[in-house]
Order: sequence, then C-alpha cells, then structure tokens
Amino acid sequence: MNNMIEIKNLHVDIGDKSILKGLNLSLEAGKVHVIMGPNGAGKSTLSKAIVGHYDVSVKEGEILYKGKSILEEAPEVRALNGIFMSFQNPVEVPGVNNAYFLRTAVNAKRVFEGKEELNAAEFLRASKNIAKELGMKPELINRSLNEGFSGGEKKRNETLQMLMLEPDFIILDEIDSGLDIDALRAVSEGINTIKDGKRTFLIITHYSRILEYVEPDFVHVLKDGKIIKTAGPELVAELEEKGYTTLEES
Amino acid sequence: MQILTLKEGLETLQSFQTKETATAFSRLAELTLPTKKTEGYRYFDIDTLFSKKWQLYRAKKVEISVSDIVEIVDGIVVSAPKEVLVSYSTKRDIDTEHFDALYYLGHILSPEVIQLDCKSDAKIKIVHRFTQASVLLAYRLQIQTSPNISLHIAESFEGCDAKDTFVLYGYDLHVQRDARVEMIKDETLIEGSYTPIYSNFIELEAQSVANIFSFDFGNADGLQLLKAKLEENSTFNAKHLLYAQGNGKRGTISHIVHTQKNAKSFQMAKNILQDKAKGIFDALIKIEKEGGGTKAYQNSQAVLLNDGAYMVSKPQLEIYIDDVEASHGSSIGELDEEQLFYLRSRGIPLQEAKKILILAFANEIIDAIEEKEIQESVHISFENVYYGQSQLECMLSCHNCSDTIIGEQS
Amino acid sequence: MAQEEINKAVSGEYKLGFEIDIDEETVPPGLNESIIRFISKKKKEPQWMAEWRLQAYEKWQKMQEPHWAHIHYEPIDYQSISYFSAPKQTPENLDEVDPKILEAYKKLGISLEEQKQLQGIAVDAVVDSVSVKTTFSDELKKQGIIFCSISEAIQDYPELIQKYMFSVVPKTDNYFAALNAAVFTDGTFVYIPKGVRCPMELSTYFRINALNTGQFERTLIVADEGSYVSYNEGCSAPMRDESQLHAAVVELIIMKDAEIKYSTIQNWYPGDINGKGGIYNFVTKRALCKGDNSKVSWTQVETGSAITWKYPSCILQGDNSVGEFYSVAVTTLAQQADTGTKMIHLGTNTSSTIISKGISAMKGQNSYRGLVKIAAKAEGAHNYSECDSLLIGSECGAHTFPYLEDKSSHAKIEHEATTTKISDEQLFYLRQRGVSEEDAVSMIVHGFCKEVFSKLPMEYAVEAKALLELTLEGSVG
Repeated sequence: MNNMIEIKNLHVDIGDKSILKGLNLSLEAGKVHVIMGPNGAGKSTLSKAIVGHYDVSVKEGEILYKGKSILEEAPEVRALNGIFMSFQNPVEVPGVNNAYFLRTAVNAKRVFEGKEELNAAEFLRASKNIAKELGMKPELINRSLNEGFSGGEKKRNETLQMLMLEPDFIILDEIDSGLDIDALRAVSEGINTIKDGKRTFLIITHYSRILEYVEPDFVHVLKDGKIIKTAGPELVAELEEKGYTTLEES
Repeated sequence: MQILTLKEGLETLQSFQTKETATAFSRLAELTLPTKKTEGYRYFDIDTLFSKKWQLYRAKKVEISVSDIVEIVDGIVVSAPKEVLVSYSTKRDIDTEHFDALYYLGHILSPEVIQLDCKSDAKIKIVHRFTQASVLLAYRLQIQTSPNISLHIAESFEGCDAKDTFVLYGYDLHVQRDARVEMIKDETLIEGSYTPIYSNFIELEAQSVANIFSFDFGNADGLQLLKAKLEENSTFNAKHLLYAQGNGKRGTISHIVHTQKNAKSFQMAKNILQDKAKGIFDALIKIEKEGGGTKAYQNSQAVLLNDGAYMVSKPQLEIYIDDVEASHGSSIGELDEEQLFYLRSRGIPLQEAKKILILAFANEIIDAIEEKEIQESVHISFENVYYGQSQLECMLSCHNCSDTIIGEQS
Repeated sequence: MAQEEINKAVSGEYKLGFEIDIDEETVPPGLNESIIRFISKKKKEPQWMAEWRLQAYEKWQKMQEPHWAHIHYEPIDYQSISYFSAPKQTPENLDEVDPKILEAYKKLGISLEEQKQLQGIAVDAVVDSVSVKTTFSDELKKQGIIFCSISEAIQDYPELIQKYMFSVVPKTDNYFAALNAAVFTDGTFVYIPKGVRCPMELSTYFRINALNTGQFERTLIVADEGSYVSYNEGCSAPMRDESQLHAAVVELIIMKDAEIKYSTIQNWYPGDINGKGGIYNFVTKRALCKGDNSKVSWTQVETGSAITWKYPSCILQGDNSVGEFYSVAVTTLAQQADTGTKMIHLGTNTSSTIISKGISAMKGQNSYRGLVKIAAKAEGAHNYSECDSLLIGSECGAHTFPYLEDKSSHAKIEHEATTTKISDEQLFYLRQRGVSEEDAVSMIVHGFCKEVFSKLPMEYAVEAKALLELTLEGSVG
C-alpha cells in the first residue's frame, strides 16, 4: 500500500503535558482521511507535530512523509515538500500585504521545484481568478494578511493559499468551525477542485458538517492521545448517534 | 572663527549674550549643560562631544535663489521657492519651559534664526546640507504658520563630507489656531560623518493639529529632543521609526505637555536594533492641572535583531488632574513567533520571513504619512538601509505595484 | 459626586495614633561615632559589628541625600534625631513584658500571648529600637528554623550574620542604607534550613513610639535550598506634629528551589491634610534569587507615611528564577509616595511580574518607578508589568516612570500602564442599582486592588481590606 503519511508510536508533549501517547496512523495516498475525536483528545497537537509547530516537542516515535522522516525538517522545508495546513485560527500579520506574501510563498515553491518564478501580473491574474471562485472580496487580496478578516474571510484566504500552492498533502484543521453555510460550501468546493485522486487530505473536525460536502474515504478516531479506531465513512453516522464514550467498549 | 569647548561651562559662552537670548542664558544656567549623568543624555555619548575643542563655523549669507526646495547649506539658506517667505531674524519666540539644555544652547549659539513664514497652504521640502568637516555647526529654524492653513514640510539631510562635525540644530514650530501641519524628518546617518543633536519645540494653539514623523536610520550616533505644548482642543501625533545599526546610539527624548483642556496626543515609536546599536526612547506625557478632558496615548515597540543590540525604553506619565484618559504600553522583544511560523508553514524561508515581518513593522509608521510622494521616498530610504542598494529595484516592484495592477484590472 | 463627599470618603481618621505610656530610655539627639559605639555596646555586639557600623558611618558622611524621586519634603536634620530609644524593662519572658506594651499590641490587633494567637502565626514585636518579644521561636527551633531578633542573631549566630548581612544590600548601597547600616537598632532574622517548609506565617510588627526618634530596623531572611517561608510585616506610629524618620533595610537570600513570600502592610502615621507630621519612610528592600528555580514574591499594601521612598527589588541570578512584585499604594491627605521595583534579570529563562496599583486622592501624589533590566546573557528572560493609577479628585497626581532595558534578543519585556479616574458610568451604574455613592467608590477601589490583595496571605488580606476601608473612611457600608 502506498502511504503518504506513516506515524509510528508518536509521543508528543506540549509544555509539561503529555498529549500524544504512542499514536500510530497510516494515511493512504490519494484518499480523504478524517480524524474525529472529543475536545482535548490531541487532534490539533497531531497536526502541529506534522507541520513542525514550535509548541510541540516530539519525545518518541517517527513521522514519515512520502517514506522519509520529517521530524528534523524546518517548517518551511516541510511546506516546500508539499505539506499544507489550513490553520484553525490563522494569525493576523499587520503590515504584510496579502498578495505580496502569497507571491513570495508561491515563488519560493516554484524555485524549489526548479520552475520559473511568476511575475506580478501572472500571479495576480491567477490569484484573482481563484479568489473570485471562492467568493472572496477582491480588496482582501490587497489588505494586510488576515488583519481584520472575518472568520469566513480567513478560511477562504486559507483555501486560496491552498489552491495557489498546489500541495500534495493537505491538513484542514477545523476548517468548518465558525463558517456560515455559503462560506462552508465555497471552501468545500475549493477542496473538491483539487481532489484529484493523487492528493491526500487529512480533515480534523469534531463536527460532521464539512463531511456533508467532502466525502471521506477513512475515518480515524483519536482519543486520549491514541488512534482507537479506523473505519469507513459509515463511522461518522455512528459517532454522531452514539458519541465517543461507547466506542471504547465496542 | 571661534573656538569652544562646551565642557568648560557657561563662561565660555558669555560673548554670545544678546538681548534676544537672555532668556536662553538664564534657563541654561538653571538646567546646566548635560553630562553623562543627566537624565535623557544618560545613554548617549554626550561627554565625547562636549570635551572636544570645537571650531564654531559660520557661513556667509548669500542671496537666495529660486528653486523648488528650500536648501540650507551649513546653516545658510541658498535657495527657496517663490511662495515661501524666508528671512533671518534676531527676534525669536523661545519656549521658557523647555526641558532640554541644548535647546537653549542652540539658541545661544545662533545669533539669528532662519524664519519661514507660511501664510497659505503649502508643501515644502527642506534639504539641510553640511559641507564642513570637524566643526561645530549651530543654527535654528523658526516656522510660523498662519491660522487655518495646511502645511506639509519634509526635511532631509545630506552630509557625507561633514566628517566629525557636530550639528546642533532644531526648529521652533508655532502652529496657530486651526492650522494643520505635517512635519517629516528623514535622516540616514553614516558612521564617521556628522553627529546631530536636534532640539525642537512645537507649540500648538487651540484646535490646531501637528503630525510629526521622524525616520532615523543608519549606523551612527544621533539624538532628537522634542517638546510639544498643547493648548485647548489641539491634537498632536508623533510617530518615530528608528532603525539603528553598527555601533549607533540613536533615539528620541520627548516631553508632551498638555497645558489646557481637551487636547489629544498620540505617540508611537518603533525601534529596530541591529548589531551593537543602542536605541533610546525616553518620553514623558505631562498633564497639567488645567488639562481636564485630555486623551493621551503612547506606545513603544522594539525588536532586537541579535544579541548585543540594546534598547532602553522609558515611557512616563505625569498627571495632575483626574479627568483624563492616559495610557502607555511598551514592549521589547523578538519578532512574533506565531507570525513567523505562519509564513514558514507556507514555504517562506526563515530569513526571508523575518525580513517580511520587519518591513511590515516599519511600514506601519511609513504608511501613515499623508503625502504620498514623501511616503514613497521614505520607503526608499528605509529599504536602502535595510536591503542595501542592490535590492532596491526589486523592492520597488514589490510593495506598491500590486495596487496598481489590480487597480488596472478591476 | 460632590467634592466634599469624596474628600470625606478618602480621608479616614488614623486609628492607630495612640501613644504607649511606658518608661523609655532614649539617647540624646545627634549622630556621631560615640552614639554608634553606644548602640553597639548596648546591643552587646561583637567588635566586628561595631567596626562595620563605623565603616558605614564614615562612608555615609561623604554621601549625598538622593533627590531624584518625585517627592518634596522639608530637609531632614540628622542631628536632631535620637538614634536609640528602648522601653526600660527588658523582659526575659512574656510575664515580664510591660503590660502596657501587651495592651498596646492588643489595641493594634496583635496578641503576644502564644495561646491566644491565631494558629499558625509567629510574631516578633519591635517597639522603637528593640525587639520586645518573639513568639513561637522555641517551637520553630525544633525544625531548625531560626526566628529571632537581629540583635540576638548577631550574638548567637555570628557566622550566619557575617556571611549574609550586607551581601545583598551592601553597607554603602545608598544614602539611607548606609545610615541604617551605621545605626540599625533591631529587626528580625530568619533562617530556614534546607528542605524545610516553615509551618507557620512569620511576622514582625514595628511600632514607633518615642518622640523624635528614628527607627532603623534591619531584616535578614535566608531560605536555604528547597525551603519555603511566608513572612509579613506591619507597622504603625503615634500621631505627632513632627515628622519622624524610618529608614529600614530588608535583605532576602533565596537558594536553589527555595521560595520566600514577603508581605508588607505599611500603615505609619501619614501626617495631616497640610502635610504636617507623619513618617518619612525611606526603605531599601532587595532579594537575591541566588540559586536556580528560586522564587521571591513581594506584596505590599502601602497606606501610611507622609513620604514613601521604596523599591523592593529582585536580582534574578539563578536560572529559571522568578521575581514578583504586587503593590497597592494609596496616597491621600498630603501624602507622597515614590515606589516601585527593580527586576534585574541575569540568569537564563528568568521571569518577573509587576502589578502596581496606585490610588491618589485629595492632595496625594503617587509615583510608580520601576526598572526592568535584562542582561545580554539572560536568554529567554521575560517580564510583564502592569501599572494602573486611579485618580479621585482634581488636586491629586499620578505618575509612572518605568525604565526598561533589554540587551538580550531572546527576551521579552512588556509594559502597560493606564491612568483613569473613577468612571462616571460605573458610578452611575452602581447607584442606579441602589448603592450609595460612597459605597460605590469603595467597591470600585476594592475591585481595582483585588488582584494584589489576592496575593496576600488570608489573614493579612482581611487586614489590608479593612485598612483600605479605614483609609478611605466613610466610603464603605
């Protein structure tokens, strides 16, 4: 089986607190994976560990991405290799122009891949078209990065970055939280556009709302720092009905 | 030509005493000349300047020719636009309560001040040029507005040849009722050229507005001292951007005094310190008994780019009335970790991400300039010192062009 | 609210202004070598201590009284002060303590009879220049804890005194510290041995009683590795028209993994509305966090004194050491306070917190002055400061003078300050709900101070609240 991500016996602390306690998880390439679990189970910690966030310290275990260990890599190196995370709450960066930032990121990736850089006009044409499809207000692209954006505007902006950067492995951390129905639909459409059977998705959520729009292949349940169950999409309905507590007993 | 060693005290200055500078003399005697122990000068190398034997330089007055800018060479006006009234005057309005001794020293050493009278709306560029090496150059500018007018003044400084010169300059700016002034100083210092100490006084009459900007860049020592006196319902905005490198000691010392009711002041300082540079921000907001209804806000932020860089921040409030809203905040530290991570998670390398954030930090001050043309030239000044000449072109294509292109398309 | 009512609300009568009618032995006013030798002899001190005092005196004579603080007062005539005054009886046990002193302490709310005391508090009672009684010291001794007057400690534990006294505040640290080193008469010594958690609150109660005397006490607390102690001090003085000088020194030494919590409730006589009388309170307090993971916490509630000049400081030398400063300073009548702290970060990952609340009313002038300094080697150091001032009335003043210096690029300093008056909106809201104006003012002031009061030990928090109510008398229902 061809796995995009292979996590073995992962132990992760945040501060003095041990959050992930020997987590094992394989994510098959080209599929849509969902991680569900109660609050505080370690869902966000897992995504932070994959992208190399400064909060997490990995005590034990291994994360393989496309067969190679990434634990020692800087966050930008992981990104250039195709890992993208849509943040639950993207930070506001006053004074950094959104378009300028995104062009820098896109061109960093193109250089990394040995392609030519996009000039300002090419870049703006491409980003403007995508922004339009996402229903983003055109002026957002010229404002400071995420500054004063509404929750929906931030999530759309994350989706714009995702579509422009064309990553191979996409983590969507609570992308559905705080979105109205229109925004949810637009973001889901964005995701479906690049769902091409090659890209791998990891959707982290504790609602099933987004799953009405993006159909998962696998559902993994994370509880107390471990994956306790993996099954097909039918598990979503079961969890919805019975909750997480009964799961352990089964 | 006169020889002066300032450390030797006031006696050496006796020959400068005139009727017009008598007040300055008595105030200087009260305050005494600063030493390295004087508050405000404590972090600055004043002793070195004061123990040197200086030749006091006086250039001869010349006929003022007509040009687009006010050009002042070694303290003498050589050209000016037709609509700007320039004259020399022995008379002056001295602030009798200025906190800074060098404000008075500057007046004493300037028997005449350059007077700019602004009777109608104007945009004035002033270029100060220093050509003499190893001298003490002292001169002052007095700017008088008429009521109700709007004035933009941009000051820049050139002095590559003025090796080891000490420039004691400053302005007295009187903003009359309902007038509005934007005053911008843009100065990049290079080690080994001149050392500036500029001591200013800004008086805001009722309902007037003054927006004062300072952009202090480069790797050499320099100090600006600023006093603003606010009358009823006036508004004072001060924004300072400091980017010091090398061994430069650079900073702002200010007193903003609310003397009457309902005035507002906002002061914001951003400091970027690199190498072994030292940044100084020593700023007092004083609200006198008569200053009811005052709103005063002050904020200072500093980023140290490496160990060895040094920031001293002293934001102060002195308040003698209860009916006020006053606050200050000050922070010194590194770049925001979360913001850095966000940029890196999108594939932008660490060094590049840092540069982007520093630029954004600085832009917040630069972009507040109303005059677009001046704003653009300050962007260039900053990027010149920040990226060096070679990347200038690249940067020019980066920050404002996107607006234009989007503007064209939509 | 009418100004008159506000003034009434903020000028509570000083309730501790009585005089204790006891026989005292007081030396004539004046300061010279023979007075110092006299004090040293009276205290039965060894020769080295007398020498130390004289060294300090010699330096002090060459020093200048500092005037950088934002306070104004009549010049102090150091020759008109008496430097030693003591109740004539020196008791061997409680039965011998002058009943008038016991009575006086009872009036102050402090019982010196162990069985009658609140459980868990040991007291050292100091009247003018001497300690009259230390309670529970025998019981504490069983755990190796030393809790006694500094005079006893000089005689009984000379090796500890020689090692630690003047090690944090040197003899000639500043003008008032030098004066104290020359003429200090009593104070408290505490030593907590390795690994011991002091089972009770330790406290010292200082009382100035005699006329025209200065009080110069000295406190030294050493917390050895892994130990913990909570220490409290309280003070009061009779109402007199003449100002009296109080120049104390406190030194704290905290070893690896140890912690000291030091709380002060300062209620010296504040003088009257015209600035007549009251205590001049010039105090040097400093803690040295010597070992790694050590912690010190200063909490002060300052309601008394005509003049306060005081900056309890923390030198954070050990890695990961923590310094805290929580302060409420009230200036009403014609009181002036210039107080704050110094946080000197030397070790890596050291952290400090400053919470200062100043309340100014009537003609009171209240200044916060604080220094935060991060050395180049103090990587990961972090400071957070919050200084808020509340103004009541149009004749008072509130001033904030922070000094922030950072030499480490991997450190962070954050400082915030606000100055506000009691908001009309808040007052109105409370009154609309049926609360009287005075009660509303009191409620708002209490809310303003809450964060600091919560840092005091329980019994003292109650005392502090009561004191604030007394100081802002009439404003509490």
